Amino acid sequence: MDDLEKIAKKLEDGSLGLEDAITEFEKGIKLAKFCHQKLEEAERKIEILQKGGDGDVRKRDVKVKPDTGEIDDDEDLQGSLL
Amino acid sequence: MTRETQPFPMALLMEEKIYTITELTRLIKRNIEDNPDFTSIWVKGEISNITYHSSGHIYFTLKDEGAIISSAFFRNVNKALSFRLEEGMSIIAFGSISVFEKRGSYQLIVAQVRLEGIGELQKRIEQLKKKLLAEGIFDPRHKKKIPFLPKRIGIVTSPTGAAVRDIIKVAMRRYPNIEIVLAPAKVQGDDAAVSIAMGIAELNRPEWGVDVIICGRGGGSFEDLMPFNEEIVVRAFYASRTPIISAVGHQIDHPLSDDAADYAAPTPSAAAEIAVPIKKDLHDEIDYYILRAYNSFMSRIRELQTKLKGITSQRSFRSPGEIVYVRELLLSDVEGRILSVMKDIVNERRNRLSMIPDLTRTMFVYLRDKNFRFNRALNALETLSPLGVMKRGYAIAVDRFRAVVKSVALLEEGDAIELLLADGSAGCTVNSIHREAPFGKKIDTKEQSEL
Repeated sequence: MDDLEKIAKKLEDGSLGLEDAITEFEKGIKLAKFCHQKLEEAERKIEILQKGGDGDVRKRDVKVKPDTGEIDDDEDLQGSLL
Repeated sequence: MTRETQPFPMALLMEEKIYTITELTRLIKRNIEDNPDFTSIWVKGEISNITYHSSGHIYFTLKDEGAIISSAFFRNVNKALSFRLEEGMSIIAFGSISVFEKRGSYQLIVAQVRLEGIGELQKRIEQLKKKLLAEGIFDPRHKKKIPFLPKRIGIVTSPTGAAVRDIIKVAMRRYPNIEIVLAPAKVQGDDAAVSIAMGIAELNRPEWGVDVIICGRGGGSFEDLMPFNEEIVVRAFYASRTPIISAVGHQIDHPLSDDAADYAAPTPSAAAEIAVPIKKDLHDEIDYYILRAYNSFMSRIRELQTKLKGITSQRSFRSPGEIVYVRELLLSDVEGRILSVMKDIVNERRNRLSMIPDLTRTMFVYLRDKNFRFNRALNALETLSPLGVMKRGYAIAVDRFRAVVKSVALLEEGDAIELLLADGSAGCTVNSIHREAPFGKKIDTKEQSEL
């Protein structure tokens, strides 16, 4: 994002030659694309760790009520990893 | 002696100041309230005559074997209290003495209340703090930076408490596709400390892929927050290789976990705000930069077009083909690259279902128009260019000053000239001069000057 801001400033400065301006602009587009993609990488999931009978810790997907943040799961969840 | 016979002691009247009650009380008030002995102090005593007023204020008397003091615990501070004050309870109150002028009385204005017996705990915490401080556990140099853009956040707290709900709610509101991993932990009771330390250690394992950890609980009494003052928990915060935020709700005394964490948030919600950025803001910021870059870039292109127009409208070229040729090559290259970059933008914006939908359209229309005019300008240049002629087999002769040789009158035998061809140039020497037009028509001096 910082790089992107630098590119915008460089182009606004107007001191770049046409050739460099194109190169910078191309770089900016690529960076912006990369940043936008990066923001969409996460996959929206809530997981809770639970200890199995063998002592191994596993993750388990749970639903959440988005307005209250409350975990909404049918099964009894362990309150700790003890 | 009667009053009549005893003269009034006039001298006394002249020398001594007589106070009004208001003046005197104000003086007492100032003397007491400005005195550090009576400000921000801890007072131990037993509650009696407690009244819960409908305004939310609590009034009581604190007493011991020898004395009593009226106390007021106002609503704005007492609402933070996690237990109910009752008649006969032994407490330690924190506050300052204040004088109530209208009633000629003084009272303790209470800011915080602890149950007696906490003194011991307090001492233990102080000792632990000293020990850990000496070890460098609280050294700011150990503190890691909270990542700018976490993909997965880890939470260590009770799965049923208010804290986890607040964190999830805030995190999802700010960043709807955030990933959350919760390590459940007990946050009160005897085994709370061990369970919290375990949760922190667990979330540090690479397989959970956690970028930042939030560990804490909602506000509570001094005892409720005790697990976050336990050595094993403080050390777990310190040992966390993943950046960790302490998120313990508290009013006055912060727990030791705050000092060992990479960041100390006053509440679980605040911790979520520190850990998780607002996604829309970031998208907007990227768009803002690219829009700025785009605007500057397009004004540069417009500038270029104006120049191009200047060249094509002259209808003759002062400089010969070589320069035109180079410029032409550059322009066609520029054109191709602008087009490919623009296609990128347009696609990018389409994919994103942009929040500024007009921009894509405007940009697209603008681009199409610009591109059309650009091509037209290029075509004009092509037609007018000597290069077009040269491609058909003609050459341009230039002298050693690279001025175009338009007449044999300018030449002498033995002169060095250069022939510019479509794909290069050749150095030549003038062997002979024929004052006759090559295609039969004689050019006389008069005609030549008219050219």
